[in-house]
Amino acid sequence: MARPLLAAASLLLALAAQAAPVRTEHVEAELLAEAAAAVPGKPATVGLRLRMDKDWHTYWRNPGDSGLPTKIRWTLPEGWQAGPIQWPYPEAQRVGPLMNYGYSGEAMLLVELTPPADAKPGPVAIKADADWLVCKDICIPEKATLTLPFAVEGGSPPAASGNAALFAKARAQLPVAVAGWTAESTLAGAKLTLRVVPPAGAVAPARVMFFPFRENFVDHPAPQALVRDGAGVRLEVKLMEPVPTDVKEVAGLLVAESAWPGHAGRKAVEIAMPVVASLPAPAAPVGVPAGEAGGSLLVALAFAFAGGLLLNLMPCVFPVLGIKVMGFVRHAHGDSRALWMQGAVFSVGVLVSFLVLAGLLLALRAGGAQLGWGFQLQSPAFVTLLAALFFLMALNLFGVFEWGGFAQSMTSSLSAQGRYADAFLAGVLATVVATPCTAPFMGAAVGFTLAQPAPVSLAVFAMLGVGMALPVLALSFFPGALKRLPKPGPWMETFKQVMAFPLFATVIWLAWVLGAQAGNDAVMALLAGLLVLGIGAWIYGRWARSESLLRFVFAALFAAAGLWLAWPGPDAKPGEARAAAVKEGEIAWQPWSPERVAELRASGTPVFVDFTAAWCVTCQVNKRVALNRDEVARALADRGVVALKADWTNHDPRITAALAELGRNALPVYALYAPGQAQPKLLPEVLTVSLVLDELSRLPAARPAAASTLTQR
Amino acid sequence: MKRASLLALSVASLFSTAALAAAVVGQPAPAFTATDLAGKPVSLADFKGKTVVLEWHNFGCPFVQKHYKSGNMQALQKKYGTEVVWLTVNSTNSGHQDYQSPAQLTKALAEFGAAPTRFVMDEPGSVGLAYGAKVTPHMYVIDPSGKVAYNGAIDDKRSANVEDVKTAKNLVVAALEEMKAGKPVSNASNAPYGCTIKYR
Repeated sequence: MARPLLAAASLLLALAAQAAPVRTEHVEAELLAEAAAAVPGKPATVGLRLRMDKDWHTYWRNPGDSGLPTKIRWTLPEGWQAGPIQWPYPEAQRVGPLMNYGYSGEAMLLVELTPPADAKPGPVAIKADADWLVCKDICIPEKATLTLPFAVEGGSPPAASGNAALFAKARAQLPVAVAGWTAESTLAGAKLTLRVVPPAGAVAPARVMFFPFRENFVDHPAPQALVRDGAGVRLEVKLMEPVPTDVKEVAGLLVAESAWPGHAGRKAVEIAMPVVASLPAPAAPVGVPAGEAGGSLLVALAFAFAGGLLLNLMPCVFPVLGIKVMGFVRHAHGDSRALWMQGAVFSVGVLVSFLVLAGLLLALRAGGAQLGWGFQLQSPAFVTLLAALFFLMALNLFGVFEWGGFAQSMTSSLSAQGRYADAFLAGVLATVVATPCTAPFMGAAVGFTLAQPAPVSLAVFAMLGVGMALPVLALSFFPGALKRLPKPGPWMETFKQVMAFPLFATVIWLAWVLGAQAGNDAVMALLAGLLVLGIGAWIYGRWARSESLLRFVFAALFAAAGLWLAWPGPDAKPGEARAAAVKEGEIAWQPWSPERVAELRASGTPVFVDFTAAWCVTCQVNKRVALNRDEVARALADRGVVALKADWTNHDPRITAALAELGRNALPVYALYAPGQAQPKLLPEVLTVSLVLDELSRLPAARPAAASTLTQR
Repeated sequence: MKRASLLALSVASLFSTAALAAAVVGQPAPAFTATDLAGKPVSLADFKGKTVVLEWHNFGCPFVQKHYKSGNMQALQKKYGTEVVWLTVNSTNSGHQDYQSPAQLTKALAEFGAAPTRFVMDEPGSVGLAYGAKVTPHMYVIDPSGKVAYNGAIDDKRSANVEDVKTAKNLVVAALEEMKAGKPVSNASNAPYGCTIKYR
């Protein structure tokens, strides 16, 4: 009677040990075996399964800038051997300016345990002391002692344990060790270039990220530039300084956003790349996976050209083009050669400025800065300077002063040299003010190009310039069309003065942008500075005939004082985010963060992200025309869509990184994440109400719970 | 033409690239000025000609707690207090749960018996970003000529376990002793371990 009871009790105990995962503060840990028992002398796979609370992370073998890899200490029966942890590929986790490599949700760490060849059949106890660091906003070192009641079988193959599916899933997350690939790397200063070409017939995926095994080696948060090289890819990776001198080989994982060809949907390959003195020049891209990247170079060039053409119709360029048109009017009845020379010089101005801006952008990005197109307007100082320049130009058009001999006025027709300087300057200005406007087609082209080698990206930017300059150039070649315009006369003076108003409007817009960047005080300082600058301009114009040096001295003094007043201090703070109460029929925008997007998507909530900036004129137009509409707000609420606003008015590397993930680098970008879809749907750059409603109607109807959380505010 | 190039120049010079910079071993240490717990300014330039140790700090972090609960950090601060300038820097942003005000920090430091030369409040994170400080505790040593001599971990046992302090090799001590003996620092640059710094 007593013995069966005892046996039953011990059986219960054994079951309890097996069934109880250990729960720590933020993790549920469990030790599992793939098979019910091990075979003597043969490795058996067990797994440490860590299930983290939402938003908490554990770390990969190289945890990145902070974090610690999970450690396991085994207590095994006599003669057993434990292999190393087989790490699933990690995800890149951005934390402010830092980057971690780790896991969210669940991590299954597989380990092979090998019993000795002479192991006796029967039950054995496996014990593991696991230590891990789990972090969200804070980090907590946790540990657990886990036991696994296991057994050694005699001869026959081990029975299945019911865990087969879990282990199959875990194996799919392991990197594939590949053979027969061309893999090499080279070091130049703090730049590491990796070159990986899959064997014949296979084409590397469009987006790949390198995760090095070595710690303290690559600059983890720096963007990795991908360049296609034949059927393979090369990645440019920034290194931390000082660069170690003992690097003979660079090893790690290449993780694809989609999958590597020929490996059944596996996303990660493990690869070792010997360091060589130099790499061959990149070969022409072969078979770029369709639909993944922004497309081929030709498509990007065509898009850039079309985008450049359309830029002329965008609101940013308008004021400057008005002035240019006026210049044409003046010369329309004159010398046709002078006319087309002007058109050509204007085009050169546009092209040079596009290349200078693009070159700067590329150079700064190569230095590790997370910047995007229109980046100069993220600087309050630049916005102030531009506002001052436009203000002066408007005063000039009003006739408050004339530029004098240095740069030709926009109206008088003195020397040919002066006219060319004019035309060039107009081209430069048109480009500088055009950047905050992203035309249709342009977003994809700019996004594509920044992942390309410098000559390719410069070509795409040049094509944007060609597109933008072409209409003016074409007009200058066919002066016949201009002949129909009225002859120059007193009406020109009126027209000139009228053109000052759009410029003042531009100044107002820039003041608003500055307000969003640096707050109310900065706007006040700017306006006061403009007033003093205006006095300087007035002195310069009022005593234009005077020979006295005093005129220049005072004009310069006031101009300098004006700029000094307007200059935004380094401590300028962004205006407090206005927590405006959401009125009925308005969209309940919430601030964007990558974590928020991940959280909402994990809970199956559809998400609409508006990547916007105060300086992005197209964004502002879309907001008024297509987004802030009752019917759109209603449709969002009906579908339970959470609307997030990612504001790029000021520099924000997280947004630059998020845009890069979407293959974009210019605003506006509208991303609609449908539940269960891996990739968001990107809406066009120019929105209409019907287009937005149409996209929203494709989402599944909301669950009632989600809808009510939106409307109750 | 002149104005065009001026414009381009101003774009280049005005735009600040607010990425993580770094203090590289062998190169001049980034200069900084911040305030201490009493609100007085602290500059790296104040300590010209001296060896300076920078210790990134956050009492909310278990890895920092490891070195304070074991008495390890305070012992180092006292041991080297006469020879080097020990600056403890806190870059935790004020919106984070780990943030402590100067008053709270003064109290907590006294309770632990900490003895840094000065305590640097870096709430905006600018000192941390200039040095590329990643974790607490991230340790730096600056030599008397103002160059970075050490950048890395406090010791070689990458854990939050207080017990590990006894058996670990302290890498900052190793660097300071080598410098004292006039030798080059053999392990001058390594991966620090700890909690992510809570930057803004």
